[in-house]
Amino acid sequence: MKSPFSATWMELKGIMLSETSQVSEMTFFIPEYFKDAAKKMKSGLMFVKLVNPCSGEGTIYLFNMCLQQLFEIKVFKEKHHSWFINQSVQSGGLLHFATPIDPLFLLLHYLRKADKEGKFQPLDQVVVDDMFPNCILLLKLPELEKLLQHVTEEKEIDKKKYYKYSKEKTIKWLEKKVNQIVAALKTNHVNVSARVQATAFFSGDQASSDKEEDYICYAHGLVSDYIPRELSDDLCKYLKLPEPSASLPNPPSKKNNKMTAAQKALAKVDKSGMKSIDSFFAAKNKKKN
Amino acid sequence: MESSDEAAVEKCRIHLRPGTLRDAPPATLHLLPCEVLVSRPAPVGRFFTPAIRQGPDGLEVSFRGRKLRGEEVVVPPGLVGYVMEEKGEGLVGKGFSEGSSNDNEQGQQELVEPPEALERDFDRFIGATASFSGFTLWGLETIPGPDAKVRGALTWPSLAAAIHAQVPED
Repeated sequence: MKSPFSATWMELKGIMLSETSQVSEMTFFIPEYFKDAAKKMKSGLMFVKLVNPCSGEGTIYLFNMCLQQLFEIKVFKEKHHSWFINQSVQSGGLLHFATPIDPLFLLLHYLRKADKEGKFQPLDQVVVDDMFPNCILLLKLPELEKLLQHVTEEKEIDKKKYYKYSKEKTIKWLEKKVNQIVAALKTNHVNVSARVQATAFFSGDQASSDKEEDYICYAHGLVSDYIPRELSDDLCKYLKLPEPSASLPNPPSKKNNKMTAAQKALAKVDKSGMKSIDSFFAAKNKKKN
Repeated sequence: MESSDEAAVEKCRIHLRPGTLRDAPPATLHLLPCEVLVSRPAPVGRFFTPAIRQGPDGLEVSFRGRKLRGEEVVVPPGLVGYVMEEKGEGLVGKGFSEGSSNDNEQGQQELVEPPEALERDFDRFIGATASFSGFTLWGLETIPGPDAKVRGALTWPSLAAAIHAQVPED
């Protein structure tokens, strides 16, 4: 038999398509402490579909019942990669990351939705979802009351707590998040000066003279992946981030007419300094040869 | 009524067996700079591993006649790498086929991506079959530079920690 590693592309394809046995392995990075927690538990680690607080669509999360923690799953995916895992080949070269997510982002989605009714409500009436029934897991998280203080006004009647979304508190909470992220960007030496553009023109890292504003823009972009656009826009205004510099070309879109005022405002914002989380996981600026 | 609701919720979950995290034996992983279209067993230890050489600028090997250069990459601190698998009917679907092969309609349907893969076939179990603390990252002709997307992705956990850490009280 010919070695598959010296075979040409077409030959290899032929060999592989005729092959029936398949393996499917996924590579995951998960926190080290899961291993210790695993000693105590028989079950309680599960992948569940919950609402994505930014898009409102369904996304897979990992819930650790034992540690009472919620993790998001991010996938690294770039063209032209494959894994060799021991004595097998795995197509795609994907890498999954399970990293902790602040459950308040998800709770915020429900609090904002319930706020349309404009009244104080108990949490179990706020976090309801026909689409994603697993949202009840959110109610089991520890120290919920403490978390909710950041984004809600609350009332206590007959020892039962009632909550109402507060935009003012939420914006202040998000500002703290941004400051926290800015600090981390600095410690991790992340180049925030519009790297997205830079990579298209330069191969190496540019000597950066990053300004404070660049860091804030970048951090705003990161946190915006966890909040709806409306809120992201409000936060942008609150942080006094630069007004549109018209450097971002707005390609005519079919959806243009349906944009809300907030979306239109956001579309005008120069996002060149913003960094979306996705840029960590997918090749966006493909070199066009 | 309530029990059927409970069952419906249960159906949307994929359970990860915790015991498998404890017992997962170490695995050797290589991330190649090319796409092998199908996932299947391969005699890596016969053709690839013995050909790896220590060159002046890192590791060297060749794959399909092309020269690869690589280096060891460690898993970010605080994390452990696991290879997850579902025995029997695979979680990622039965096969990865090339999307462009129009003559293979079945193949088109089976071309799936992980988020979808995790969504299909609810109420199932997966487990870790192996663990790793690092892998060999390979590039074509040269070692992937500091700008490589993979390296960027590996810095994600530390940034994610900052985004999702609780903010201080007033």
